[in-house]
Amino acid sequence: MTNDPDLPAMTYDPELETIDLNINIGPQHPATHGVFRMVLVVDGERVEDLVPHIGYMHRGAEKLSEHMDYRQAIGYQDRTEYLAQFNAELCYVQAVEKLAGLVPPERAEYIRVILAELNRISSHFMFLGAFGTDLGVFGTSFTYAFRERENLLDLFEEVSGDRLMYAYFRPGGVAWDVPHNFVERVKWVCDQALIGAKDLDTLLTDNEIFIARTLNIGKLSIEDAIDFGASGPVLRACGLKFDLRRDEPYSIYDRFDFDIPVGSNGDSYDRYLVRLEEIRQSVRIVRQAIDQMPDGPILPEKLPRALRPAAGEVYMRCENPRGEYGIYLISRGSTQPYRLRIRSSSFCNLAALKHMTVGHYVADAVTILGSIDIVLCEVDR
Amino acid sequence: MSPEDRRRPQEATIVAPPPGSVADLFAEALPGLEMTPMQGALDVIIQIGRDDAHRVLEAAKHNDKLAFDFLRNLSGVDYEEQGLEVVYHLYSFKHRHNITIRAKVPAEDARIQSATDLWRAADWHEREARDMFGIDFEGHPNLVPILLPDDMLDHFPLRKDNPLAPLEEWQGEILGPKMGDAGYIPPGSGFEATPAAEGEEA
Repeated sequence: MTNDPDLPAMTYDPELETIDLNINIGPQHPATHGVFRMVLVVDGERVEDLVPHIGYMHRGAEKLSEHMDYRQAIGYQDRTEYLAQFNAELCYVQAVEKLAGLVPPERAEYIRVILAELNRISSHFMFLGAFGTDLGVFGTSFTYAFRERENLLDLFEEVSGDRLMYAYFRPGGVAWDVPHNFVERVKWVCDQALIGAKDLDTLLTDNEIFIARTLNIGKLSIEDAIDFGASGPVLRACGLKFDLRRDEPYSIYDRFDFDIPVGSNGDSYDRYLVRLEEIRQSVRIVRQAIDQMPDGPILPEKLPRALRPAAGEVYMRCENPRGEYGIYLISRGSTQPYRLRIRSSSFCNLAALKHMTVGHYVADAVTILGSIDIVLCEVDR
Repeated sequence: MSPEDRRRPQEATIVAPPPGSVADLFAEALPGLEMTPMQGALDVIIQIGRDDAHRVLEAAKHNDKLAFDFLRNLSGVDYEEQGLEVVYHLYSFKHRHNITIRAKVPAEDARIQSATDLWRAADWHEREARDMFGIDFEGHPNLVPILLPDDMLDHFPLRKDNPLAPLEEWQGEILGPKMGDAGYIPPGSGFEATPAAEGEEA
């Protein structure tokens, strides 16, 4: 509304009938980060209702894993969570270890934690780049973030032999030892990651357009976040200091000194800030771990050729870049998992999308979806 | 152990949880409840019947000593001859404790009361459990397929009587019986060997 006296006064007819309009976004749309479809019911520019449609990427990873050896199913974890493969593998192999009673050697634990934390950094860089693009920063944030992500992927390739589908962790340790220059390479990659985080910080954090597009957009209260089962940065942005690495420590996370960044407002801007700070905290963990990493074996001495865990069940959960990643594994004494359920963090965070979006503008729906940071392969499994 | 015994699914040995565990709080909150407490690899598990399920979940959420406000995970499991199970993994931010609740559901009459009125997180999980196991969650506001196609209402992929192997055989029939054989060239692909003309030297 303008107060310019030279312009004719705006008139509207309160009796005029308006209709709600359905807008379909996706499944093939660059803003949906994969094959995700949402139907928006809009009244003018306001979103009145949102109906998400998922399942386009469902490949039956759970069913397939039931027909495989315990070690073969590791590869499916990479394909499920394809931006944080080491984190997903870590969760799965720990679940198998809990049932099979395997204890990995110290060196393997350190290698795993270093790689998982570096993977968290690469996943968050992916988010920062894609989120900037969602908001119209066009290519700048994407190229800055991908420069750092490539450094990390190069390191992962040197270690595992593959750029994306690593399948490097094993129940009981890791597949083979790291290359001889691993320590120097990790230190260099950490320095580069901090430079990249600083670049993106100066590019986005105080940017007026970026703040206008994200501040107070997609707010979620702590109570709602808990009720929807949201976890990870989405939950921490609401102000709840909950991180499984600290609250239910697994592997060797209780040995490191790090902070858990939290937001206060629960909006898209806070989710961005939390992830940016998590990059720096992950670098802290990696630097401590690389200094403490001992020499020694990478697999236990007595490792059965065919894994046959005793009958039982475990729900192993890990703090992945997108939140709580859970593996519910049931063994009934055979060489294959009897049931493998993947509790996907994106799936649960995405369930809160409708609640966050209704009442905002259509353009904000893209912001909010981007701020949840979903991986559709993990949502659909 | 004979090979037949090895292939047969084994039962987990039930280990009682240590005294003072979360299972005792449930016994305290719901006197007279029929349940089997056991100690899992990480969490305490209680197994209950289907008809008690909603009562137990309601107490788990609203009882002050339990206060399970976070539904971590909800999944179905098919135990073949022992029927189905719906498994709830709960966490309390107030008391920082965990519980796994396993509710038995007979396979031929697979229905249980929905938990969507307690946790909104249950909504999508229950829709997925219906897709995969055909469990009817009574009282769910919108129990339609979520991961599977909209018309796939009578086929439950994760049930054990729905094995993977015949699916692959079926795919093999579609692709052709010789697909996958060494040196097989699909007809019409343009790579077939042209028959040598008569009298021509090979």
